Amino acid sequence: MLSDYLLKLTQFAVIILSAAILLRCFRSLLQEKTDRETSAYLRVGKENVPIEHWENLIGRSRSADIRLFGDGIGKLHAILRRSDRGIWSVYDIFSKGGVWVNGMRVPAYGMKLRTGDIINLGGSCVRFIYMNEEQREETEEERFEAGISVSPTVTLIELVLFQVLLFIEHTFTADRQHIGMIALAYGTLIVLEVCVYEAMRVIDRMGFEIEILAFYLTTIGVAVSASSTPEDMDKQILLIIASVMLFIAGGWWLRSLRLTTSMRIPFAMLSLGMLAVNILTADRINGAKNWLEFGGFSFQPSELVKVFYIYVGASTLDMLYRKKNLFSFIVYSAICVVALALIGDFGTALIFFATFLVISFMRSGSIATVLLAVTGAVLAAVLAITVKPYIAQRFAIWGHAWDDVFDSGYQQTRAMSAAASGGLIGKGAGAGWLKTIVASNTDMVFAYVCEELGLIVGICSVAAVLMMAFFAIRMAKNGRSAYYGIAACATSSMLLVQLALNVFGSVDMLPFTGVTFPFVSRGGSSLISCWMLMAYLKSTDTRLGASFAVKPLEVDDEFSPQLFSRFDDPDEENDNDSYDEEVHRIGKKRLQRTKRGIRGDESRSRRQENGFRLSNDGIRQHEKALRADRNDYRSGHRVQRQEKDFRRTARYSDEYDDFYDERSWKNTYREEDDR
Amino acid sequence: MRKIASRSVAVLIIAVLVIIGLVTYIGKEYENGRQWALYFATFNSGSEGTVYDTNGVTLAAFNKQHNSFSPDGITRLSNYHVTGDYWGRTGSGVISRFWSSSQNYDFFNGTTQSQLSTLDLTIDSGLNNFIYKQLRANGKGAVMISNYKTGEVIALVSSPSIDPLDTQSEPEEGTFINRCLAATFVPGSTFKLITAAAALESIPDIEQQHFMCYGESEIAGVKIKCTDMHGEQTFEEALANSCNCAFADITVQIGQREMVNHVREYGFLDTHDLDGIPTNKGNFPLDFVGDPELAWAGIGQSVDQVCPYTMLRYVMAIANEGRLTEPTMVKNRYIRSSGDSEIQLVPKEDPFVSQLVAPETAKRMRALMINNVETHYEGEVNFPGLKLGAKTGTAEITAEAAHSWFTGFLDDEEHPYAFVAIVEEGGFGLWTAGMMMNEILHYAVNPESVISQTVTTTGRLESADTTGTATEPAVQ
Repeated sequence: MLSDYLLKLTQFAVIILSAAILLRCFRSLLQEKTDRETSAYLRVGKENVPIEHWENLIGRSRSADIRLFGDGIGKLHAILRRSDRGIWSVYDIFSKGGVWVNGMRVPAYGMKLRTGDIINLGGSCVRFIYMNEEQREETEEERFEAGISVSPTVTLIELVLFQVLLFIEHTFTADRQHIGMIALAYGTLIVLEVCVYEAMRVIDRMGFEIEILAFYLTTIGVAVSASSTPEDMDKQILLIIASVMLFIAGGWWLRSLRLTTSMRIPFAMLSLGMLAVNILTADRINGAKNWLEFGGFSFQPSELVKVFYIYVGASTLDMLYRKKNLFSFIVYSAICVVALALIGDFGTALIFFATFLVISFMRSGSIATVLLAVTGAVLAAVLAITVKPYIAQRFAIWGHAWDDVFDSGYQQTRAMSAAASGGLIGKGAGAGWLKTIVASNTDMVFAYVCEELGLIVGICSVAAVLMMAFFAIRMAKNGRSAYYGIAACATSSMLLVQLALNVFGSVDMLPFTGVTFPFVSRGGSSLISCWMLMAYLKSTDTRLGASFAVKPLEVDDEFSPQLFSRFDDPDEENDNDSYDEEVHRIGKKRLQRTKRGIRGDESRSRRQENGFRLSNDGIRQHEKALRADRNDYRSGHRVQRQEKDFRRTARYSDEYDDFYDERSWKNTYREEDDR
Repeated sequence: MRKIASRSVAVLIIAVLVIIGLVTYIGKEYENGRQWALYFATFNSGSEGTVYDTNGVTLAAFNKQHNSFSPDGITRLSNYHVTGDYWGRTGSGVISRFWSSSQNYDFFNGTTQSQLSTLDLTIDSGLNNFIYKQLRANGKGAVMISNYKTGEVIALVSSPSIDPLDTQSEPEEGTFINRCLAATFVPGSTFKLITAAAALESIPDIEQQHFMCYGESEIAGVKIKCTDMHGEQTFEEALANSCNCAFADITVQIGQREMVNHVREYGFLDTHDLDGIPTNKGNFPLDFVGDPELAWAGIGQSVDQVCPYTMLRYVMAIANEGRLTEPTMVKNRYIRSSGDSEIQLVPKEDPFVSQLVAPETAKRMRALMINNVETHYEGEVNFPGLKLGAKTGTAEITAEAAHSWFTGFLDDEEHPYAFVAIVEEGGFGLWTAGMMMNEILHYAVNPESVISQTVTTTGRLESADTTGTATEPAVQ
């Protein structure tokens, strides 16, 4: 009798803690202010426009990150991009007016920038200025720091309590012989999360919400394992440790954008290789041959390929605009999906396809592409159904599970019944009956959780994944690079689609496909891949001092090019103002001049510019001076390549005026034509 | 990055869809949770109970530690459709029925159980064993016997059956269908009992009419074939001869509207329940079909479907002057609520009695059925020592195969039994189902009178183990 009350009490406490953990994560992930980081700015006229990302679109368009409305600036004109080491480059994205830096045409592979460089965007000029250390520190201080308003320590304590209470629930139901291992599993979780947390504190990282959510879901997964397969807890413990290690390694890897992007093709090859090995060697288990045996551990390559797929699929902003087509990615995706279909893993193939849609939409922004892909997929699905009738069978029972309780509706009806019989509070960890049904701890795990821990915890586990998705959406506009933004969004949609197929498949609202619930379903490969995917979410978390997967903003001394003494302090008004004005007018004037199309009558047009005199030669001299500086500054092996670039551009700049005028005139002409 | 942010709407769409799905699911669970949860209520641990048959033989026992059945293999096998099993493979057993009714459900707590429930059934498991052996020897089918005075069901057997402990072997197709309650069959000539009653009520001069049978007749140009050339017959003789020509004529005389009214009145179109276990509805052409089709329907062919249980109800009413005491197989039910130490008898409601058939009609029908046996089924030869009224049926389902029906009652004060038997594709009604029922009824009246049992049974029957402990079957 007493134990009954104690169990009830524990169950209530578990639910309250669940809600509390999620609420705290919600507040810090989705309600806290998120300030962007700044490491450079553009001087536009007298204004300083901060550059808030590592990849910035410049143009007139609403979707440009830096909106400039000068003459000759196109809707999307150029990209400003910062490298890992803090060096900025500018790229021309096929703009009409062209991009010049200090009078040099920016080539296809971009041009590096230094403080004071004049960027001429189709006639309008801005000045690029690196922030110096002091300025950066100032802006950093203004930024909202993660882990201050909602302390991760308290959330962690709640999580530990949650785990302890869940363990207590198990002591009521579990076999005596298994209790030790179950305790060890929960103990491992607690030690792991505390260790990770302390390690993050050591490196001054206080954004712990993603880890908390992942640990929360893993804990529920442990509860499911402890109740369904307590004899296998040792394996589960090892898997959890490995997952968290891989998560940290992955996050660390993603710190360097250069390294990350340079490994895309090798990883694409690796993942295709894994799928090939899978197709050639694996045995068929439960209709799908997606398992490989490795020294007692069965391993599902398709789970790891999920991680690689996003790695390969995401792309930086400059690549998006310079190489517009998605062709190679589409081919890669098609191979993956077809390989999974060959393996017989249609659930995972579906997840890949949904992720493909999200990635291709985020990369191209084109709904037409998405619709085309969906049409193609529908045709492929029709083909698949005609070739493999058992898929059609699954569709046939969809929505009518109760009509065939003992055959095709077997799992769904039991899942629904068990989920309902748990009520809001649940029967207690280990006290349900769904565990007697085969695959209930993977394919029907939502019902499993609902039965044993209650519908509220079931909803919480869905909410945890939803929260990750909303965080990814929220962070997309703050991210450093489009790569991280796309990767995080792809990750969260992959997890959501997987979750939806699992949850709604098991309760007969979608066809039953037998995919896993992220983190919660039993299954090592799935757990590892989910944890690794979390690295993408961490890499998009640019809140100040939040994520270990985000490098702190540091500027390489060698490359912090504060070369012009006169630009050392850009805020010093006296000198610079006139200079800025000058720069601005040069651009403006040139455009006006060319608009009139009067090449020979420069003096007249010059006269019309009240009080402002700067001859064509003057501009040329000025730009030459800048170029000379650039030459001085070059050193080491980097020089050689730049030298080459320079020569190429210099040739243009020798014929600068002719080229410029002709081009601008054409543009103008076209513009007039349009009118 | 603003571009990326605006395109992240793709993720937002997915997230919103997931939220909508989740809310829908919660709504569905709120609405249907009770049905869902109680459907497999037998899975919930914590329930306790025992099922006894009428002689105190334990048929099933379940508690927190383990679930068990009778230690005797044949008893488990033949009573499977009475008890059902703990994992809900058949939905119609008393375990599923009373276990789930001993549980409560609400959205907040889910299922709450812990009642002990003891059932004393009216079923005689020994009789069931005997029937199963007989029935199994004849193939698939169903037999039900009940007491038409009290409504108690004393035997309920459906074949093929399965040993509930046998969770390994592949069950024969249709094993989990309780053919007594959850199946319908083409009734064949047994349906003439309904047509006859309808005729008695709606055609005033039916007893004065004479019917000619030349082996076949024509209704609106469509041939009705008969089993024999019966010549000129009265109504009584027509039923005894089971003459198709005569009954085609009678059905047309009654008319479709009246036929449908009577079929409905006698309960053949409705679903009933045996202690809460639902039974299947029958079928009769309801929309206008024209005379030939109606004639075929009146002699139990066409689209007619009858559930054996409904037929039993009807025969019980006829045997008991039209008054039907609703059948039941639960004699007593005891429960102990959680926390209580006392076991309490659940007060039994008086059996529901209704006038299913008008008394005059029922009396006449009773006499007609007794006449059937006496004059046509060679009562003293075929059913020595038994006084019964019955009707056979040979329901053609294909050119070669026919279901063999036999339904009736014992005209015996001490043993007021009504019965229905059907052997699937058993051939001629009297010879298959009728002869089988002869054995069974002798056993029911006096078990010692049946000395030798010369029926063969399947191998599974002998190999049934006797540990009596239940384990969950493997998933198909």
